[in-house]
Amino acid sequence: MRRLLLIARREYFAYTRTIGFWLSMLVLPGFILLGASLPGYMREAAPTRQVAIVDLTGQGAGEALKAAMALNRLKNDAEDLREAALKDGAGREKAEALRQLTERQGLAAGRARLREIAPRIGPVWKPAKQSVVVVQSPMDVAAAKTVEEAERELRPYVNGDALLAGKTALDAAVILTLKDGKLNGRFWSKGVTDTRAEDAVRHGIAEVLRAERLQVLGITADQARELDGIRPAMDVFSTKSARGESVGLRDRLPGILGFAFGMILWSTIITGASILMNSVMEEKSNRVLEVLLSSARTTEILTGKVLGVAGITATVLGVWTAIGAFALNVLAAAAPDVVADVVSVLTANGLIWYLLVYLVGGYLMYAFLFTAVGAFCETPREAQTLLGPIMIFLSAPIIVLQLAIRTPDMPLVKVMSWIPLFTPFLMPARIPSEPPLIEVVGTLLGMALMAAFMIWLGGKAFRAGALTTGKLDLKNIFAAMRGEH
Amino acid sequence: MDSALRLEGVSKRYGRFEAVKELSFEVERGSICGFLGPNGAGKTSTLRMILGLSDPSAGKITVLGADTGAKVRDRIGFLPEERGLYRKMTPVDAIAFFAGLKGVALGEGRRRARKLLEEQGLGEAMKKPMKDLSKGMAQKVQLLASIAHEPEFVILDEPFSGLDPMNQQGLEAIIRGLADRGATVLFSTHVMQHAERLCRKVVLLAQGRKVFEGSVAAARSEAPRSVEIEGHISAEEAAGLPGVSGVESVAVEGDPGVFSHRAALGKGADPQAALKAAFARGLDVRRFEMREPSLHDAFIVLTGGDR
Repeated sequence: MRRLLLIARREYFAYTRTIGFWLSMLVLPGFILLGASLPGYMREAAPTRQVAIVDLTGQGAGEALKAAMALNRLKNDAEDLREAALKDGAGREKAEALRQLTERQGLAAGRARLREIAPRIGPVWKPAKQSVVVVQSPMDVAAAKTVEEAERELRPYVNGDALLAGKTALDAAVILTLKDGKLNGRFWSKGVTDTRAEDAVRHGIAEVLRAERLQVLGITADQARELDGIRPAMDVFSTKSARGESVGLRDRLPGILGFAFGMILWSTIITGASILMNSVMEEKSNRVLEVLLSSARTTEILTGKVLGVAGITATVLGVWTAIGAFALNVLAAAAPDVVADVVSVLTANGLIWYLLVYLVGGYLMYAFLFTAVGAFCETPREAQTLLGPIMIFLSAPIIVLQLAIRTPDMPLVKVMSWIPLFTPFLMPARIPSEPPLIEVVGTLLGMALMAAFMIWLGGKAFRAGALTTGKLDLKNIFAAMRGEH
Repeated sequence: MDSALRLEGVSKRYGRFEAVKELSFEVERGSICGFLGPNGAGKTSTLRMILGLSDPSAGKITVLGADTGAKVRDRIGFLPEERGLYRKMTPVDAIAFFAGLKGVALGEGRRRARKLLEEQGLGEAMKKPMKDLSKGMAQKVQLLASIAHEPEFVILDEPFSGLDPMNQQGLEAIIRGLADRGATVLFSTHVMQHAERLCRKVVLLAQGRKVFEGSVAAARSEAPRSVEIEGHISAEEAAGLPGVSGVESVAVEGDPGVFSHRAALGKGADPQAALKAAFARGLDVRRFEMREPSLHDAFIVLTGGDR
């Protein structure tokens, strides 16, 4: 036991004392954080585009476009307010009413109402940064009578050769004309990749045309808003629903979390097993393994190493769990219902315990398999030769997991989850949909038997492989296993 | 004899190949024994069986009174042939770790490590990672790691390979020191000078079989003595001297007609008789030198290297 613990300790600290370990462990949460915050950050960080409207229609289309663009902006803010109210748990009806109120009475009224129905988010809610703002056209451009004249005068401003009165740059301009009696826009900008100004103008013109058409049809602005506000009122039910019979995020979360946990278990188990394989391979190539074998029993070495790397895996999962808990805590202020649902799914049906069992079973199977592979190899190339087919085999559950997220009870997922080597990755995706008990017990039993077999085989192969030298091929591996090397 | 190690009719087969054939020998406690043989003679296979890393196909091994080295592993120190340590570990940690595996508490292991490293002039290297040490330093550290638990029996597989003369001398001193404090040392080598200087006893192995077991002097006596004769003497004249069983001749550069002959003497032949006969026959003898056989000569003869 003393030797076993000493080997486990060395294995644990050999990795956890390196900066690379902590950096690589933070990669996943880092990516998740980046993925979640980058779009918002980019929106906030992107500069506001200044757009000028040159109206050559003589019918006040410029003012109409400006108003339409402001209306679109208000609609976006109203939608953001609705989502904020939903996140705060105000309920669907109140949130929708808030959206309509904002569109009718403006942003200030909307914000005031949000503070009433969403006490947590309301006081801190801010409208998104304006991406496009309409500015006054330069005098010389505004005085143009023809399209050619307007474009000639605009060019130096849009190019950045001339500045607006406030010494600011003009990013884009739209020249409004009438073409066959219909409003037409000629949009000019220096860049071609940032289409925010172009999109805002396009949607503004569409709004103007729509308003004109509605007027022809005799529909008032209020009626139009009412029409826009129509949302399909359909409630979704399920007999398996968690809250009454109405289906919500809470009911879809198990599938999503099951998929996420399947992926996490796959990557954690394979990473842990690979660490073990590399460690054994290094020890074999520099002959430390021979000294270890002369100092401790094979089972002590193997179990010590497996235990040490299990500690590394536990550390990684522990840190991830802590980061996840912290994130949920932070998120709880903004979206308490979502967080409550996540916690409820994790604690329902013993999901956490199942995950733990699948983690242990999967780790044992692959740790011993990969360690045995490492014992036969001295170079990464040799390991690649042996691991190649195993990794192809192991990619199967990843593909199937993606199917399991929507239909965890489809036959392919069911059948493959009975293969013990796939069980720890596919069953976490199935457990939230409550498969029959016989399947849960059966697959667990299969996994346990396979883990026991792998421990036996891995131990035998490790002892045989540790002392082999020379060419690595299946014939030599089997000969070594029979004790002929 | 109080033996630290005894092998009785030990064989090792890998499939159809028999690496070690009915090997028997013993090593006295507190002695240094050289385990000699050419590459592929079966030395490493034998050492692995002694350590209990592999089981003999036949025969019996007794190590420190146990029927397998595995049962007394804490009392054995082992240095493998091709060496290396954990690259990122410091020498102190590495020595303490391996001593720890042999039952020495970590704190005590570190204390011993520091002391041993200081004694071996590696004080400045003790906090550096192993990968930053020179090959000689790293080999010394590994040797120290194999003896820090103060084993009763030390097995060193080719300990001198890859070391420069200075480090070889240092290693010889360490091995002598082990024997001085009562440890038994068995080391394999094919550099005979080390065995000649260190060993009380040698065991020679060739093609899996023991071809000699005994003292260094006895091993030497297995090889023929020879004499060096130089002068205006033909190879035929040298070969005709009494007791000479074979001659190798080389012309001496810059001196036409002068040859240097190395004349091997038959078993029991008297070199004085050959010298007397040379003078009696009026041969032009400029130099006559008697040459005792070295362990290297014995090794060549005993392992069949002269065939």
